[in-house]
Amino acid sequence: MSASGDNFECGHSLEELSIYLDTGEFSDPGHLTECPECQSGLAALRRLAALGDELVSADIAAAGSGTDDWMQSILDNLRLELRPGRDIPVRPDTPGDILTETEGSISALIRSAADSLPGTAAGKCRLDGDVSTPGSPITVRVDVAVVFGHPLEERADALRRGIAATLARHTELNIAAIDVTVADVLEPGFPGPAAGPARPSESSEEKP
Amino acid sequence: MNQSLLPGDTTPAGLAAALRDVILDVDGVAEVFPARPLWQNIAGAARSAVTGEPLPVVQVEFDGEAVDVLTRIGVSTALPAPAVARSVAAAIREHLGSRTATVRVQLVQVR
Amino acid sequence: MTGSPPAPDHFDLVPDALLAGRAADGDTVAFEALARRHGPLMRASARRLTGSLADADDVVQESLVQAWKQLDTLRDGDAVKSWLLRITASRSIDQVRRRKNHSDLSDLDQRLAAGSGLAGGGAAGAGNPEAAALSGSRMEALKAAVAALPEEQRRCWVLKQFNDQSYEEIAQTLNISVASVRGRLARARVALAREMEGWR
Ligand SMILES: [Zn+2]
Repeated sequence: MSASGDNFECGHSLEELSIYLDTGEFSDPGHLTECPECQSGLAALRRLAALGDELVSADIAAAGSGTDDWMQSILDNLRLELRPGRDIPVRPDTPGDILTETEGSISALIRSAADSLPGTAAGKCRLDGDVSTPGSPITVRVDVAVVFGHPLEERADALRRGIAATLARHTELNIAAIDVTVADVLEPGFPGPAAGPARPSESSEEKP
Repeated sequence: MNQSLLPGDTTPAGLAAALRDVILDVDGVAEVFPARPLWQNIAGAARSAVTGEPLPVVQVEFDGEAVDVLTRIGVSTALPAPAVARSVAAAIREHLGSRTATVRVQLVQVR
Repeated sequence: MTGSPPAPDHFDLVPDALLAGRAADGDTVAFEALARRHGPLMRASARRLTGSLADADDVVQESLVQAWKQLDTLRDGDAVKSWLLRITASRSIDQVRRRKNHSDLSDLDQRLAAGSGLAGGGAAGAGNPEAAALSGSRMEALKAAVAALPEEQRRCWVLKQFNDQSYEEIAQTLNISVASVRGRLARARVALAREMEGWR
């Protein structure tokens, strides 16, 4: 770089160029296309940014993979805590005993019902209603993502039946409705977010 | 005073350890989790993992003649979860004999 | 590949936002997938910010604990990566402030290099020994130049380069003004660029 101090002979500075690279803001944009000093300064900063990206990649590689022991031991510590949510009562044989299921355990059960269908993964899942009062009507709302190509309506129906059966077996909740929303369509084989819902969200509701 | 209890059961810790085994023996029980969430004290959990010192599992509190038992368990889906919860409560009561007791069973995992 | 379910062992397919939504519901498996996906970058950033392998791992664990507890405050699931990195940055800075006698970065790179063959040149230029050697020594030069930066400048540069933070976010993380961030970042880049021009 030709500049010895903070300012070039043209009056601009590397600090200005550094800000320009991050924000695109520059007091005199036309100047940048004709000033050789600013252009070489920008080129140097761009080379540095590319080198910086290389350092990040090298450091990530050196940090190991998310399946390594270091991450496993951290996750083992985390797993000791389960996000419980509300308590869902279970009728005791001995009056006075307090038997409950956590909302979190039931949500997980619902999600695993969705995950067990091929090409389907559960997203958000909630139990609407007063789950802590026995007999209160409860509406289950679950978002699912379906891999592109799987029939959505058929999936939603199968999932509703599966969830109804699971909840009847493992809870004493009074399920009024199960609302399955296809919130995402996933591209098979392409990691990362799908390009938004491939079609408008389809929501359907029916008595189990 | 403690005729109905085994000798090892006369302290909360002894009774807690015995009850843990009783609970694990119940059909459908997969896991017994520490009765109190350790989240606030994850450093303690990490230390326990290093030293091998067992974390308190079943919570047992004596109140005069009465005893208060709290357990957090995980169950498998092989049996209906509510039935497993009732079996656990029954097994705890059987172990406590004629003692006055409050039994709390919380299912935190069904899978 | 067609029709394979994005079940827990296929989480590569599942976007961050969906995993974040599940995790906020209390799904530990989804949270673990997020932690595995972004953990290495969190660790890399924490290492450069704290200058210590052990401190960095403490920071990653604390950050994941905090993230799990605060997941329900995350509005935009797509932003989970930058959110995790923001938590990691704040915790790293706290850690350095707590620990006055932290080891310096040149020490970190020596120990990294001793512990792993990957630390030197990374994967850059693999397959071409000459290019790899050049790229490797250029990386070493950059590491040395980063380590030689004044602490405040280095933090700004790492938060921009590793954590991809905006000027406003860096200002918040470091509790300094946006103007200071602009100046420090520019000075860091000037120093690094000067140092690296010899390695073109
Ligand atoms: Zn110029």
